[in-house]
Amino acid sequence: MSTAATMRPAATQVSGTTKGSGAGRPEPPDRLAGRVGMGVIFAGLVGITLWAGKLVGFSWGELLGNLDKVDRLVDDSFPPEWAFWPRLVDPLLETIQIAVLGTAGGCLIALPVALLAARTVAPRPWIYRVSRMGMNLLRTMPDLFWAMLFASAVRFGPFAGVLALIAFTVAVISKLLSESAEAIDLSVLEAVRASGGGWIETVRFAVWPQIIPHFVSYTFYAFELNIRASTVLGLVGAGGIGMVLRTQLSVFEYDRVILIVLVSLAVVLVIERISEMARRRLV
Amino acid sequence: MNGPPTASSAPHRPSRPSRLDWGTGATFAIAAMVLWAASAIDVPAERLKTAPGALLGLLLEFVPPDLAYGQQHVLGAILDSLAIAWVGTLIGAVLSLPLGLLAARNLFPRLGVPVKSLLAGIRAFPEILLAIYFVPVVGLGPFAGALAVGLHSIGMLGKLTADIIESSDLRPVEAVRASGGSGIAVLRFAVLPQVLSEIVALWLFRFEINVRASAVLGVVGAGGIGGLMMNSLRYRQFASTGAVILATVAVVLVVDSLSGAIRQRLTHD
Repeated sequence: MSTAATMRPAATQVSGTTKGSGAGRPEPPDRLAGRVGMGVIFAGLVGITLWAGKLVGFSWGELLGNLDKVDRLVDDSFPPEWAFWPRLVDPLLETIQIAVLGTAGGCLIALPVALLAARTVAPRPWIYRVSRMGMNLLRTMPDLFWAMLFASAVRFGPFAGVLALIAFTVAVISKLLSESAEAIDLSVLEAVRASGGGWIETVRFAVWPQIIPHFVSYTFYAFELNIRASTVLGLVGAGGIGMVLRTQLSVFEYDRVILIVLVSLAVVLVIERISEMARRRLV
Repeated sequence: MNGPPTASSAPHRPSRPSRLDWGTGATFAIAAMVLWAASAIDVPAERLKTAPGALLGLLLEFVPPDLAYGQQHVLGAILDSLAIAWVGTLIGAVLSLPLGLLAARNLFPRLGVPVKSLLAGIRAFPEILLAIYFVPVVGLGPFAGALAVGLHSIGMLGKLTADIIESSDLRPVEAVRASGGSGIAVLRFAVLPQVLSEIVALWLFRFEINVRASAVLGVVGAGGIGGLMMNSLRYRQFASTGAVILATVAVVLVVDSLSGAIRQRLTHD
């Protein structure tokens, strides 16, 4: 592999500085075998690309031959229908509320899940394995799939959106937090256990103080993800500004669609910036 | 800075940063926000109580998944989603590489900031909103999805490519320049060899994200499995939904673990 071969000098340099004594020059890789291997991989990648391109119907003609449609789309969209703005205020507030509740609920649930899924903290190995597996399964579901599921289960509306974001938040944050919990200083745990503390005391006095900063910072991160996600939840009927977007899209009111898109992006960016600032202040 | 600890050499201890004030303030602010949100989205208590049962009931209707439907429709749709993710990642990779190079402050000090803001701007538009605009241009179907995924990917890939290049070693660049190498030679012999494996790992990571992203694009008619998910739920054919979810979960798990294994090899040489 040519990349590996060219990476070598940097790699030996690093190990040389850390170990001090030179470990000797590494064997040069087998060039011919490397080239053949690279060739096979490359051919495979080209093959997959051709197949995928065919499946999606990739066509330069369609991309470049439709510039007149771009023209029309731009004509339809601009200028945005500013007068529509008052009807966006309530849905926007609802979007923010969905994100707030989804984040709060999700992070509260993610906390115990993460502790049970951290190898160092879980009270029993099987609990660790089961929670880890559940966590990985949760994480495979795309956010809008959750929204669709909950919109079916509890009917359309913001409540479905909140539940969807809770599920999504638990999936993302429990993973991150369990990794932080696995990286904590274990000697403190040992100290609490040695002085007779049970699992609850260990978590309370040894784990919790060490992961609070991570937990706070992940909560803000989750809020940033959720405020982004919450704008499109409505496309599947789960409340917020996306519901308006869906309605206007279905009647091809592109001058309203562009207003909704721009306004929700602006709100997302502003809230993200505020959240980032608060996170930096706190952690 | 790795000088001696300042506390021992400084004449007096610096005052403790007032962390508590910020903390309590923020706690109150957050509590207020949660209360505001909870009171505005008013959820009748009986709905809150029935929600877990409703979800469980729905989940139980998914089993057993309709495997015949799975073979007939889901298989093709999930392959479409994978293809959307692949083509989208490729579009993103090809276009983000030059942009990432231009955005790297150690190579192009002047261009870095404007190109980075361009990338941030691209990143701000989620795939699904981009797909809304690609569908009327190239028509309903996976092509629109692939373009949306590709365009959105440029933002994140370009930024992280620039970050990787910025953390690379500049001495080889100097060496190639000193021996009279052109700009192309600098790229080929000094920059790319250092960063390529990390950038390829980044592309794989983006592919994992894009598989999830492409799964939902069907909601706006941009192809893939999302359309089936929506329709099967709408027409309450829950056994079909079961097949859709099963296929999605399985494909995401396989892609994640394969791509993760390759990334591990790429970055830990």
